[in-house]
Amino acid sequence: MFGSWFDYTVNGLIIGNIYALLAVGLALIFGVSNLINFAHGSVYTIGAYIGWTCITYLHTPLPVTMLVVIAGCALLGLAIERICLRPLQNAPQIAPLLATIGISFVLDQLVQMIFSPDPRALPMQLPDWRIPLGRGTIGSLDLLIAAIGVASAAVLFSFLRFTKLGWAVRATALDREAAQQMGVDVNAVNRTVFAIASALGGISGLLVGMYYNDISPAMSFQATLKGIVAQVIGGVGNVPGAIAGSLLLGLIESWGVALFGTSYRNLFAFLFLILILVLRPNGLFSSARRHPPEPMTGTFIAPSRPFRAPRFSLAALAGLALALPLVVHAPYLLQTLTNAWIYALLALSLTLVAGTAGQVSLGHAGLLAIGAYASALLAIDLGTPIVLAILAAGLITAVLGTALVYPAFRLRGHYLSIATLGIGEIVALTILNWESLTRGPIGISAIPPLSLFGLPLESAEAIYWFALVVVLALAMLQTRLLRSHLGRTLRAVRDDDVAARAYGIAPNRYKTLAFAFGGFVAGIGGAITAHLYSYINHETFTSEISILALTMVILGGMGNVLGALLGALALIGLPELFRVTAEYRVLIYGVTLLLLIRFRPQGLLGTV
Amino acid sequence: MTGNAHATTVGRRSVLKGAALATLGAALPGRAGRAADPEPILLGVSGPLTGQNAQYGAEWKSGFDLALDAVNGQGGIGGRQLHYVFEDSQSDPRQAVAIAQKFVGDPRIVMELGDFSSPASMAASPIYQRAGLVQFGFTNSHPDFTKGGDYMWSTSISQSDQQPLLAEYAVKLGLKRLAVVHLNTDWGRTSKELFVKAAQDDGVQVVAAEGYMPDEKDHRSMLVRVRDANPDGVILISYYADAALIARQVRTTGLKQPLVAVSSVYSPKLLELGGDAVNGLYTQSNFFPGLQRPDVQRFVHDFTAKYAKEPDAFAAYAYDAMVVAVAAIRQGGPDRKAIHDAMATIKDVPSLIYGKTQFDVATRRVHNPQNVDLVVKAGQFAEWDGAKAIASN
Repeated sequence: MFGSWFDYTVNGLIIGNIYALLAVGLALIFGVSNLINFAHGSVYTIGAYIGWTCITYLHTPLPVTMLVVIAGCALLGLAIERICLRPLQNAPQIAPLLATIGISFVLDQLVQMIFSPDPRALPMQLPDWRIPLGRGTIGSLDLLIAAIGVASAAVLFSFLRFTKLGWAVRATALDREAAQQMGVDVNAVNRTVFAIASALGGISGLLVGMYYNDISPAMSFQATLKGIVAQVIGGVGNVPGAIAGSLLLGLIESWGVALFGTSYRNLFAFLFLILILVLRPNGLFSSARRHPPEPMTGTFIAPSRPFRAPRFSLAALAGLALALPLVVHAPYLLQTLTNAWIYALLALSLTLVAGTAGQVSLGHAGLLAIGAYASALLAIDLGTPIVLAILAAGLITAVLGTALVYPAFRLRGHYLSIATLGIGEIVALTILNWESLTRGPIGISAIPPLSLFGLPLESAEAIYWFALVVVLALAMLQTRLLRSHLGRTLRAVRDDDVAARAYGIAPNRYKTLAFAFGGFVAGIGGAITAHLYSYINHETFTSEISILALTMVILGGMGNVLGALLGALALIGLPELFRVTAEYRVLIYGVTLLLLIRFRPQGLLGTV
Repeated sequence: MTGNAHATTVGRRSVLKGAALATLGAALPGRAGRAADPEPILLGVSGPLTGQNAQYGAEWKSGFDLALDAVNGQGGIGGRQLHYVFEDSQSDPRQAVAIAQKFVGDPRIVMELGDFSSPASMAASPIYQRAGLVQFGFTNSHPDFTKGGDYMWSTSISQSDQQPLLAEYAVKLGLKRLAVVHLNTDWGRTSKELFVKAAQDDGVQVVAAEGYMPDEKDHRSMLVRVRDANPDGVILISYYADAALIARQVRTTGLKQPLVAVSSVYSPKLLELGGDAVNGLYTQSNFFPGLQRPDVQRFVHDFTAKYAKEPDAFAAYAYDAMVVAVAAIRQGGPDRKAIHDAMATIKDVPSLIYGKTQFDVATRRVHNPQNVDLVVKAGQFAEWDGAKAIASN
């Protein structure tokens, strides 16, 4: 048995080694720009494809391939910095983070359009020597990856310690404005860092692609996710810490598999992430507690005067929406609008949590999933009438969702966003693994359709009305809440939680209220979805939905109830109009996100 | 060739029907058909063109188009061309539902094909069922898919047919203690359970079962668990990309046992992605281009001529699905209800996968797929020569 543990350890280090290449690039960018770069995985993918193109068409040897990849990805890094991040220097901190999400959408889609979504083989250009270790072996590529990981960390470390530009980089990381006043060309520093980090990202893509002999446009998201987890464990912005964190992450995954089985692998990774975030938010390897950041919850609120629609016009709009099925008979239109109303529930929830309370959540799809499962299981296993099941699902989601996020309340800005991302993944993985309750990967089928007092609602019109009435009711309730002292208090916590505390407000209680109400609304949205689809499994509510919801909320204007409805309508409705351009849809969607963040951060209707 | 056989068995009836309707186009297929230029018959396809599963949508298209070339080249159905509208669902249930309403609300669409993944298809099923539009989910193996209603039909290979064949193959290979590695999805899980049952019925012991996530690339630790269970063979219930990854990592963890993979790994891509590591891998296929059957050879020839690459199983599924759709429309006429009724009565529709397709009216599925035992030899799929499996060194 000891022999196997040795093998698990070696395997953990091997995969950790791969995470390290990703985490070092992410850590470098964070160290200087205070930015978690969600586009890093896309650069990594592009690096792999540049390598593939060179090897396939030009038959370049490995060193040349690597040089081309370095040059190509460094240029890409420069372009990302110039086009998307420099203009956002003075924007709230979360703005560039959201911009990198937009960039990753655009880049991934471009790769897919150019190279097709098919996985491709990326032949290894090293002789495949294998060294026996334990009962398994490690190969030459494992050693090369480790060497490049350690060497790049060492070079970076000494660059940051001993060179003038390195000092400039660190000075910029500590205090951008002070560095600027001391004559540091901050933009040049940023450019350098993006070029270096992106080149490193590209090399990782190339090497990992060779390692698995398999590259595909879909490899990007997992890479970003694992890289981020690894660097948070090591301490964001800490380059040697990123390597240690990566190895640790690899070990935890491998030992988790050893102890509990393969399907628990990522569950451990994300639980560990949350644990680290809660106990040591600066990472395992930060020596001293850093100064607390300036009072800033890191939310994406651009000050603006929200658009106020006169009451009668809102009533008229609601009336029009309600009357629509009487006027036109178009099930497809009604279905699309029903989808929009369901997503409007998610957006309402998120606009409250992220906009009004300032807690940008990247795992909101998890709430939909909890609501959907709760309602489906209540209806099937206990025979609860549908309306009651939906209401109960809302309450269950409120309680569970808040309880899950509660430990993360002390976190701010990026850290909270990463924690919610992790919590979203944990919810999906728990659903997958808790088979006695959720039926695991088989999912729940034959969920009874929506019904009211025993009458099934099956026609597109009935379902439309049901969803619309729920949305209108909850939107009005939310508006009422936000006009009360509760809304003011939440905004006070968002804008400056130190000041809020000084006034005797307990921020955690108010955050709890926001998450509870948000959880209730999203839970109801999930429950309606379950009864509408009649089948759900752990893949029904993906992390893409979380990002989609965030885009809706930003589009409408953070904290703006009407904006949330408009955002949902636009982002669910418009892609249906653009069905013809299916291949470009994701592209358009990413570009929209980018343009919004750049030119209209307050959204269409303004932040509240 | 499938298309030809088709035209002679089923086509004659529809030609007569067309003539009875006094459309000159049907009696003189080809030029005259185009001169009259009637509205084409439309099928709706809901499937992934972007996103995670986009490659399968692309394979579908090539399979459909090849089948349609044959049909439309001979004048279409009753003088009308057969076309399809492909809506990109990204295999996302939300979009599949909207697409379903779109198809249902479009009176020109007489039948629907897809979606690719079972969660997306099953979310849309209630809409198709209520509207009385056949949802032909030809890749939906989820056991509950066709239970959604009598308008849900599938030619997807039922794992209750496939897994006993795989277990039988393992027995023929002389294996007695098996470890099962499976995709942890609805398909992988269902397949695993069917396999374990079949293996136990055959007197084979299953000593370990490990489920991995579809987006996972590192499998070394899972394989150490498998190794410690001390099996004499490893069963892979995977798709080709994962199977290639696992095969590459098997040898690096000190496993020497033979690998036996379910038929879904059959793809030229398996060889490309797996390289040397997949040599000696045993698998089965319901569709094997090397199979010396005239219809298969004709399909491979036409496919390669049109697309300059070898077809994989998904292209064959799509081709077969289109042939079934054509048969149902020929038999019943271009009408939703008539097509539903015709699905139950079409018989002996030529099929690459089944030889001849015929639905079991109770389950709305097709049983007894063709099956070839294969082994990868020197980077090529070859028919298995009957030699027992031995651990590699």
